Amino acid sequence: MLDPSLTGLIGILLAIGVPTISAAIAIIICGTAMAGVGTEKPELLSKLIITVVLGEALAIYGLLIAFMLISKLPNFTTMEAASKGLMAGIIIAVGTGAAGAGISYAGSSLIGATAERPETYSSNVIGVVLSEALAIYGLLIAFMVIGTI
Amino acid sequence: MTEMRKLAVVVFEDDVDAVIRSLGEAGIVQFIDIRAKLDEWKGTLTPHAVPAQIESKCTDILSRIDASLKALNLHPETIRHQRLEITRKRTEDVLAEVEKKLAELPVESIVESSTRLEERKILLDKIGAMPADEKTRIGTKLLELRRLVETEKRSIEEKSKLGEIRENLLNLQEAVKIERQVAEVQGEFARTAKTIYFEVWVPDIHLKEAIERIQKMTAGDCITSEVSVGHGEKQPVVLKRVPSFLTAFEKLTLASGYPSAHEVNPIPIMAITFPILFGIMFADVGQGALFVLVGALLAYFKRKIKLEEAGDIVRYLLVSGEMFVLLGLSAMLWGFIFGEFFGPSGLLHPIQLGRIGPFYIGGFEPMHEPMKMIRLAILVGALHMSLGLILRLVNNLKEHQIKHAPIPVCWLWLLWGGLLMWAQFGGISSISRWFAEGGAMLAGLIIAPLVLLVVFTGIAEGFMEGIGFGVEVFAETLSHTLSYGRLMALCLVHSVMNFLFLELGGVEHGHFPLSSIPIIATGTILVMIIEGLIVFVHTLRLHWIEWFSKFYSGEGIPFKPFRFT
Repeated sequence: MLDPSLTGLIGILLAIGVPTISAAIAIIICGTAMAGVGTEKPELLSKLIITVVLGEALAIYGLLIAFMLISKLPNFTTMEAASKGLMAGIIIAVGTGAAGAGISYAGSSLIGATAERPETYSSNVIGVVLSEALAIYGLLIAFMVIGTI
Repeated sequence: MTEMRKLAVVVFEDDVDAVIRSLGEAGIVQFIDIRAKLDEWKGTLTPHAVPAQIESKCTDILSRIDASLKALNLHPETIRHQRLEITRKRTEDVLAEVEKKLAELPVESIVESSTRLEERKILLDKIGAMPADEKTRIGTKLLELRRLVETEKRSIEEKSKLGEIRENLLNLQEAVKIERQVAEVQGEFARTAKTIYFEVWVPDIHLKEAIERIQKMTAGDCITSEVSVGHGEKQPVVLKRVPSFLTAFEKLTLASGYPSAHEVNPIPIMAITFPILFGIMFADVGQGALFVLVGALLAYFKRKIKLEEAGDIVRYLLVSGEMFVLLGLSAMLWGFIFGEFFGPSGLLHPIQLGRIGPFYIGGFEPMHEPMKMIRLAILVGALHMSLGLILRLVNNLKEHQIKHAPIPVCWLWLLWGGLLMWAQFGGISSISRWFAEGGAMLAGLIIAPLVLLVVFTGIAEGFMEGIGFGVEVFAETLSHTLSYGRLMALCLVHSVMNFLFLELGGVEHGHFPLSSIPIIATGTILVMIIEGLIVFVHTLRLHWIEWFSKFYSGEGIPFKPFRFT
């Protein structure tokens, strides 16, 4: 049986760890794709930067939830509160993980497609921003869970 | 927006080059590619093509002119030449004339004389370098010198002509470039045995001038008639020029697509909503003030520096100077409302502007009362989307789509009905109360507008589309409203990031110790760049996805008048 404060700390670990990894994956995939396109058509980079920035935002969401959990550390005396903290961490981890996968795939394809036909950008960007919305849903739910601690 | 007219023109084959030349000089019409429509007129009209040798001849002459300029060591870009007169000649004749003039220019003799002069100079250098005893053949040397003087005299005479030759060459070059474009655009025309048929878009205000120009060039032997715009045909659009301080917003809007002919142009509206949403997420009096400062400096330098000379990123920053001022002002306003000065430092107290039911407008610190913040975020989102839906209604009315007009009204009903239900009975956790206690309200506020939406869309577009659209609207209303939750999330992120630096610097209850200043400064720079960029992108996305999808098609095509380059 885990100690309540350790359970809470694992929640914090998940809340900051997984989103940063998701953000890193999204940035690695989209950033390298952008670098490739930039050698051919540098004028598109200012539009395409949205993929990298939205990837980076995932880490920020993790930071926010981790911070909220840290501020609740003194409350992690009972197992109930601690498991809520753990769950909040898992929720944001799964949400940002899904968003990271979406941004990586949709983002790199968006970058390639935009290089070939810039006019398709405004339709294709929807895939990236909708993937990113998944993280927001996770964030909102994680928030509500933390609110009950 | 200027109204576009479509003009059909028939002219004789011999006049068409002159007509295009004249229209291209004015730059007031856009030629329509009618090749795709030729099937409808099979038998009457055939595609018109300019003989391939004209194109190859143009290339040939241009490369010869380039070679001459190179041989004479002349730089074309340093010269401003006068505009050419518009002739009524055919392209073939113009090209022949250019060739003749080119042959007459004494390019070769100048090149020759300058090489000879070079040779003499080398010879003279050699004589000078000879040992004293070999200079005995002084006679030879004198002879050489005399020849040299003669050559030099001739070359100086010709050099004075050099400026003239250069001007001639450049004028010829321009003439050929124009002829090449004249020939190129004719690929979009159609013809009968002797006449050429083409269609153009011309703005209302230029219609008279365009017809006059065509008549003048053909001496009246032409037919011009206005054609009605076909149903579903896309008209090119001329946007009204926006004031220069809105340029950044114009670029952001057009990156998502060009407005089509009768759509509301969202640029001025975006200049108001964009800063408001940005300000909520970046609420901070201190950092907002810094943004205003940076923006003012950029706006100042924008007028000092030539934009073309600046690098890519610098140019973007300079163009958005005024936008930064607006964003900063809005951030300051929301900073006062949420009581943030370089983060939740305790120096300012939140100001409450009002309260509507469970929605508090200001008067709380987002970091400590996130639930109030999320309600505010959803309220702002609903208002923003309502604005989008109202614009959709305006668009429908402007385009005379009366059948579509009830759709945004029902959508608004659904949006605010759902919001009212949420405010009355609480969110998902108490969804059972929605059915148990608020059955009648549920029917009136959510089910009724959804059914009406399906019915009205069904009337306008067909039954299956109606069902599909109803499902789409339901899902979209829910997901887009939730998406405005990011206003809360990023506002909190902003507070938290600043809070970390305030903690590090030891700031308590609005008292900034001297030692905290470097830490706060580092944090501010970090937050303003990274956070600022993230918040900016999120504001942009809220506009592009959640807002534009309500009313903005972005499927227009810009009016690109035919103009010689």
